[in-house]
Amino acid sequence: MRELNLTREDLEIREVLAEASRALATLDATRLEELAMACQALNRVGETHAGTDADPLNRRNDRKLARQAREAVGDMRAFGRVLDATRANLSVMRRLRQIRAGHIEYSEAQARGWASSEPGYGDN
Amino acid sequence: MGTISAAFSIMTQALDADQAALNVVANNVANANTPGYTTEAPNFQQNQPLEIGGTSYGDGVTETGATSVRDRVLTERLNQQQQLASSTGAQLTALNTVQALFTPDSGSSSATAGDISSDLTGFFNSFSSLEANPANNSLREEVLSSASTLASDVSNAAASLNSQRSALDQEASGVTSQVNSLTGAIAQLDQQIQSTSPDADAGTLEDQRQQDLSQLSQLIGINQITTENNGISVTTTSGQPLVSEGQSFQLTTGTVNGVTHFFVGGADITAQMASGGGQLGGYLTARDQDIPNVLGSLDQLANSVSTQVNALNNAGTDLAGDNGNAGDIFFQPAQVAGSAASMRVVMTDPNHIAAAGAGQGTGDNSNATAMAALGNQMIVNGQSPTDYFANLVSQLGATVSNVQTENTAANASVTQLQTQSNALSAVNLNDEASAMSTFERSYQAASQVFTMLNTLMASVLNLGEQSTVS
Repeated sequence: MRELNLTREDLEIREVLAEASRALATLDATRLEELAMACQALNRVGETHAGTDADPLNRRNDRKLARQAREAVGDMRAFGRVLDATRANLSVMRRLRQIRAGHIEYSEAQARGWASSEPGYGDN
Repeated sequence: MGTISAAFSIMTQALDADQAALNVVANNVANANTPGYTTEAPNFQQNQPLEIGGTSYGDGVTETGATSVRDRVLTERLNQQQQLASSTGAQLTALNTVQALFTPDSGSSSATAGDISSDLTGFFNSFSSLEANPANNSLREEVLSSASTLASDVSNAAASLNSQRSALDQEASGVTSQVNSLTGAIAQLDQQIQSTSPDADAGTLEDQRQQDLSQLSQLIGINQITTENNGISVTTTSGQPLVSEGQSFQLTTGTVNGVTHFFVGGADITAQMASGGGQLGGYLTARDQDIPNVLGSLDQLANSVSTQVNALNNAGTDLAGDNGNAGDIFFQPAQVAGSAASMRVVMTDPNHIAAAGAGQGTGDNSNATAMAALGNQMIVNGQSPTDYFANLVSQLGATVSNVQTENTAANASVTQLQTQSNALSAVNLNDEASAMSTFERSYQAASQVFTMLNTLMASVLNLGEQSTVS
């Protein structure tokens, strides 16, 4: 597992989104879960002192986060489109899973082979 | 009822089948690194059982050849996404070049389109300076100099855009020969497949056909339809046939209004090709939509500024006292189209700048004030010149961003599908090792049975013979 390296100081939302798009492209579920957890943690930090925190450091971090969120609009849109494309690919992938499970015949020859092997000698 | 000779026959077939299966595995391993090779699986088929006295007896196995492990739905989806990725990739490359043209060239004295905004400000500000001292010659020279910088940057931008459009036209034209070469090869392969393997997957020939289709998908948008006898028809996304019944139809080009158009069977399909996908789709979208849009906006800007400035100059009084006839500062375009490319300063004598109002003395500055105010007036399609230019750059940036997003998504989709395709069709050496071990054991078992049958047969033949030991 790669290190997330998403500390409060060097966090860049754009990097998270770009990494998420890459992980989705390679269907890397583990990496996506890591990133989702990182985003949840980020949300918790934001909610903890949203608007009311008097600590100048936290206020500065909030402003930084808000700026990063604005800058990441394009990357969010790209991630959304990757998500759409993935959804569209899912039906093909489901079909593949069935093929691997042997539920769909590849060819007429194979179908004939299966058909001829059904009833007959040794069948009980 | 089985006989020993029947058992011999069954085991001989089993050895043959296992041998053939091992050959399939060997071929897979040998082609593990061959681009486009689809892994094959041996087909075993139980022989028709014998019916003797109402009882069915098994009659062994036959290896009926190998089947390539592929899924046409996946391949077709992959080709479609490849078309989109190639199209947006080509369009993005072209748009990035256009966008680079409009990037401000800070600190450099070279003329670039990115400086047009500051050029506009500088030009209208030069009239503000002239207001203070309308008869000053160096200030008048400054007006012409800033006008010249503006005109030069605008016309250079238009020239660069036209040059990029020509380059894209050549790129698009170059795709034609590749497309024709591929459709010809696909048609030939189709004929071979239909004649040699009309009822089953055609293995290597099918791999070659898929590879050609994949390459074709990167070049243009296509649809493929499976026909009888394992053949395919390939059409453009708008339905013009490229390959049908083993025959290919040439994509031809011709020049229409100065740019390359594309034809199939005499029909002009350029517009359809632009929206169809593939590299050609990307080139044509950039050539026929994106660049003309930017060029059109630039033409509008140049036309409005030139027309308004010239009209105002001709309405005032110049330093020589010409009233209402001072002449044009910029070349006056006859129409909007081409205004940017033809923008230039035609006034050579700064004394002809009409700083004074109509009927006023040469010391008057009211017309210079009006000219300076043009910079903030809504003279270009309801916007000020600088706002109009800022919107042009902003819209270009939005277009680039959208195409970038589409390209990212399409590439991600291709990666997903390619991974799935490889998992299904590429040779997996672990699987092959496992299959080889299975067939090897099966072969050994058959061989063992064969040996036992041989011993049994020898015993049967010796039955009734006198033994040497009594």
